Amino acid sequence: MNYRPYLLLAELTHSCPLHCPYCSNPIVYPGGRELSTAEWRRVFEEAAQLGVLHLGFSGGEPLRRADLAELVAAARAAGLYTNLITSAVGLQRRRAAQLREAGLDSIQISFQSDQETLADQIAGASAHALKLEAAKVARELGFPLTVNVVLHRGNIVRLEQIISLAEDLEAERLELANAQFYGWAFQNRAALLPTRSQIARAVEIVAARKKQLLGRMEILFVTPDYYSERPKPCMNGWATRFLTVNPVGDVLPCPTASAIRGLRFDNVRTRPLAWIWSQSESFNRFRGTEWMPAPCCECPMREIDFGGCRCQAALLTGDAAATDPACSLSPHRQKLASFVESVQEDPAANRPFAAGLGRLSFRQNPH
Amino acid sequence: MISLDAQSRPALARGVRLRNDPITGEPVLLFPEGVLPLDAATHDILIRCSGQATVASIILSLAEEYETDPGTVRADVCECLAQLRQRMLVAISS
Repeated sequence: MNYRPYLLLAELTHSCPLHCPYCSNPIVYPGGRELSTAEWRRVFEEAAQLGVLHLGFSGGEPLRRADLAELVAAARAAGLYTNLITSAVGLQRRRAAQLREAGLDSIQISFQSDQETLADQIAGASAHALKLEAAKVARELGFPLTVNVVLHRGNIVRLEQIISLAEDLEAERLELANAQFYGWAFQNRAALLPTRSQIARAVEIVAARKKQLLGRMEILFVTPDYYSERPKPCMNGWATRFLTVNPVGDVLPCPTASAIRGLRFDNVRTRPLAWIWSQSESFNRFRGTEWMPAPCCECPMREIDFGGCRCQAALLTGDAAATDPACSLSPHRQKLASFVESVQEDPAANRPFAAGLGRLSFRQNPH
Repeated sequence: MISLDAQSRPALARGVRLRNDPITGEPVLLFPEGVLPLDAATHDILIRCSGQATVASIILSLAEEYETDPGTVRADVCECLAQLRQRMLVAISS
């Protein structure tokens, strides 16, 4: 099988003005210098030659890189579509206009909630007002706008109002991303996972609003895998379409792959991207179906869900090659099921977010 | 909400780009959240979505291209445009 990457996620820095407790950034940041402008330019050119068509600038907060406009121009010159994935802190009119000029195609802004107080509590920073302003600027400059909201127990009760906020901002898309439990989110999962009835209610709300907003705003919502019988087809299969390059130049098959202990990642400073994609140990480790244990290897779903998520298998079972416990056929399903049940019985599950702040560890920046 | 009808004038939505994949030579649609490889029929429809042409005239143009009558292509064209619109890849004005 010939694999070819379509999308590159460029994590420009791990520094971020927000401290969201569900951040998927690693708890232990990789050491080393951030890639320079020239090094990123080379990465974009190599990625384009390899087949990448679409680039997401992410982080941390990509606006913290003073050379962002230069990097956008470099990516466009390499022929890539460019999407900025941002907290919007630092996206003042002048900066946004500069990015437009450089050829930036689209902007995705994260929101934590519709209410300023709650949103800023979740972010661990005063950011909500700045986001509202930045979203307005983005529209005025003609950017297509995606609003991304990570849903968790602290904001899922505001879902109706969150959808209305995205509608008022005239976003083309609203990504309602159920918190996925990696990095900081994994540490905080007991406080973040919504209850079964909260999810059921969210599914109803989304279905109704999708219909109502058809042709004006696309709403993306996937039932969280902790409440599914089958695992998610993570990354559409290991190392089949996506590449992530982290701030120090390590190349990962998915943004959270550093959660897998013992997996060594090659670096763009020492290897060509094409070699890493096709030859490296980390990219080949879980490609195809040959690595699969039972019950995956005999499962008719094995080329549909690919055994689920390797990072989740590693986090929950200690073995990245195990069947994802989000699958009801996993021998480790009970580990996930008993956690999910404990949340249903948690007396704190229906208390306001602010009452549980003490239970959370908020994301820290690299030193 | 503006509904999709014969007099609608579809165009690529804001931030959506149509280009050829340099690796395969096949057409792809690039949009804020990803890449969509296009089949020939969808591509034929999209290159006619100028924002000027109505759905009715797009159907006529395609029927001519495929040397068939408009009734044969109408349902497929409307279904395809409705799906693209649902994903905010095509926008319409009347």
